[in-house]
Amino acid sequence: MPMRGENGGSGERVTLSALFLGFLKVSLCGFGGGLVWARRVVVEQKRWMNEQEFAETLTLCQLMPGPNIVGITVCVGAKLRGAIGATIAVAGFILLPWSVGLSLGGFLLQHAEIGGVRNILGGLSAAAAGLLIGTGLRLLVPYRSRYTALLFAGLAFAGMAFTRLPLPIVLLALAPISIAVARIEDARAR
Amino acid sequence: MNNSSASLILAAHLAVLSSLSFGGFPTVLPDVHDFTVARGWVTDQEFANFFAVSQIMPGPNMILMMSFIGLKVGGIAGAAASALATFGPPCAMYYLSYRLWDRFREMPWQRIVRRGLAPLTIGLVIAGGYVMARSAAVGWQSAAITAAAVVMMFARRLNPLWILTAGGALGGLGFL
Repeated sequence: MPMRGENGGSGERVTLSALFLGFLKVSLCGFGGGLVWARRVVVEQKRWMNEQEFAETLTLCQLMPGPNIVGITVCVGAKLRGAIGATIAVAGFILLPWSVGLSLGGFLLQHAEIGGVRNILGGLSAAAAGLLIGTGLRLLVPYRSRYTALLFAGLAFAGMAFTRLPLPIVLLALAPISIAVARIEDARAR
Repeated sequence: MNNSSASLILAAHLAVLSSLSFGGFPTVLPDVHDFTVARGWVTDQEFANFFAVSQIMPGPNMILMMSFIGLKVGGIAGAAASALATFGPPCAMYYLSYRLWDRFREMPWQRIVRRGLAPLTIGLVIAGGYVMARSAAVGWQSAAITAAAVVMMFARRLNPLWILTAGGALGGLGFL
């Protein structure tokens, strides 16, 4: 099982400034869904986590209250450098983008009713939706040979996309079955 | 009205909500709306504007949106208090739960739980994209932009910023 310490950084420690800058990048680039950039930076560029570990961390964050993407920031920081790492990563994620967003947004809001901007926003949000779907599909790649995993991903998708049930309900209904199936498969594999 | 006491009431309320916001902060937006509009702190229109502008800003959207409300209620200090109340309590919980999760990482039961839960999470991410696509869709053109973005993201490791820029440019040129 691919877990701790095998992803590149086992030897050298990730510096706090690298953490700060990494999550600053996730934050600044991540409009229309920070998850796309969190995965790109954490998994593809920095290799702080592998694909599977990232998906599992995301699961943990989805089970907790709060902004999931901040949760990922905390978990990656905590994994690499403990409490300090988590604090620095969150600071990188929030401090600068928040100041910029508050002043720029405050300015925009004073001049609200922005005419032709609406069309641009429409195109942007359509593209952002596609990026999110593409990110999900990429996360699914490591599971492509496990048909039960694909089935449960499909059920979770349908439960959320088509039934309008709240997310905790969907998770609570599917999680016990999915875990039970994983357990049976695990027992068979031995 | 006493601005600093209003800011405190708002921050306290947000701290409670953020601790309960299972499934992400958007799930508690209706509550924030009723709480702030009923007190006359923001109007309906302002609330909608805050949402729209926070969505087009990079960075933490929901934290920013709550800060706009705080800014209106109590100036910069109100904005900072709202931001802290929105991300502070969840951060502490994330940290503690990650520590616990990490400590039992090698246990066989945890491997099974992880294997069972991860596919669900991924399905939910794709559903999030689908729901966003549905709300952004005004016709086949926006569906085409979404589909193209899926392919570019999945098949090529193209920088997402290019894909977003292309989408925004197509919209701005009147493709939608």
